[in-house]
Amino acid sequence: MFSAVRTYVSDLWARREFAWYLAMGNLKARNASTSFGLLWWVINPLLLGSVYWVVFGILFDRGTLELTRGGEFYELSFLAYLLSGMFPFFFTQSAMTGGVNSIVSNTKLLANLHFPRLILPIAALVESSVGFVTSMGVFFLIVGPINGIWPGPWTLWLFPVMLIHLLFNFGLSTIVARVAVPFRDLNNLVPYFTRLWLYMSPVIYEASFLEGKGELVERMFRLNPLFPILELYRHALTGVDIDLASSLLAATGWAVVLSTLGVAWFVKYEGKMARYL
Amino acid sequence: MSSPAIVAKDITVRFRPMVDRNPTLRRSIGRMRHRETQELVALDGVDLTINKGEAFGIIGRNGAGKSTFLRVMARTLKPDEGSVNVYGKTSTLLQLGVGFNVQLSGRRNILLGGLAAGLRKSEIDEKYDSIVEYAGLEYAIDRPVRTYSSGMFSRLAFAVGMALEPNILLLDEVLAVGDESFRNKSMDTMRELLAKAGTIVFVSHALPNVAEFCDRVMWLEAGKVRMIGEASAVVEAYQTAVQEAR
Repeated sequence: MFSAVRTYVSDLWARREFAWYLAMGNLKARNASTSFGLLWWVINPLLLGSVYWVVFGILFDRGTLELTRGGEFYELSFLAYLLSGMFPFFFTQSAMTGGVNSIVSNTKLLANLHFPRLILPIAALVESSVGFVTSMGVFFLIVGPINGIWPGPWTLWLFPVMLIHLLFNFGLSTIVARVAVPFRDLNNLVPYFTRLWLYMSPVIYEASFLEGKGELVERMFRLNPLFPILELYRHALTGVDIDLASSLLAATGWAVVLSTLGVAWFVKYEGKMARYL
Repeated sequence: MSSPAIVAKDITVRFRPMVDRNPTLRRSIGRMRHRETQELVALDGVDLTINKGEAFGIIGRNGAGKSTFLRVMARTLKPDEGSVNVYGKTSTLLQLGVGFNVQLSGRRNILLGGLAAGLRKSEIDEKYDSIVEYAGLEYAIDRPVRTYSSGMFSRLAFAVGMALEPNILLLDEVLAVGDESFRNKSMDTMRELLAKAGTIVFVSHALPNVAEFCDRVMWLEAGKVRMIGEASAVVEAYQTAVQEAR
């Protein structure tokens, strides 16, 4: 068992260049076939963000959020709050979409060549990560001039948080990649699932919004793995106070469990994948 | 001389095409209602040893299991029963242009195809010039591959496949690659491979080619070995059977 894991990991490592250039090739091809190319990674969450900005920021007039930063009262603009959740959420969403397609859209590779199949969801994840990292820079380019929110010492948290989030997305994408092979219908379900997930996550509302909705509801919403992850991003991007320890613990737990289970489940199924092409 | 390159023991592959091919919800419901699903036996206990330095042909009607057998040898399809051992670096040309992205340039696709086949980037960089020269595509290498003619595409794909410098080459109907002069070149390359104790296994319907090029041939029928033996004898027997069936 242990030696099989080691062989698989070393096979995977030997093929790391393949994963990287596969992802770069897809990005490059997309750049070549659309006018805006890589910019779409920024335009997509921006458009998404502005849709919700129009609805909740303007129509429902959310104005500002009264939070604390460093223990002191702090007014955070709704725009900054929205985008600090929307961009990370979009990373998970695109990791899922990429994961679903990673195996079923590469049937030619699967039918012809023997290699660790995990390469394919990894390459898809690399692709969406490139876009996400870009969008993190854009976040400050927007809220910096508009709301005066610039990186501070808390921004250092961004690196561990992104790592945890990456691990979580990796687990998620291996699971959906595996499920999509025998069950292609998943492709049709993902858009509805991600929309529901968006509404169940603290992107357009803040955590305190759940107070008074009943203990059961609040507990259910807090079970959402994106809950602690988005909280961590809030802190890392805007510096507002959160319960850092418990969020870190929950997010790391989710990421480790999901990626371990996802990878094990995916690898166990590899031998059968070619039969569903 | 005759140390084995590929040893296949009792290979059996079954498909359940109705359910497995495209298991949508509707068919899943159908399955719940006990709709009968036919099992298709693609390979039925195939035993075979292919030696080093041998050119081995596989013939048979459509659906006899030829391509399935190649996939088992390429280790992309795990057989339901039996085992296959492959001794050597294998290059599979079951389809051409595996790993290619036609939006990208020929240059980029040499990298992608080479990495997909199992080469390292440094090896590809080293062999890059000879690959381009072999394919005869110096003039078009920076153009997107979607603008290539099918002959150019095949030449590039074959050149990348051979860049792996395999000991074992698995081919599926791709011998008729490119124009006359490229075909001769690719035949020469394959003869070189055989001379260096390499092994070639190929599936083809071009019977004269098979008889001329191969040492031994296996005739598959409905997933079973009908005959294995000296190339021209098997090809002749197969042709006779086909004519009688008419």
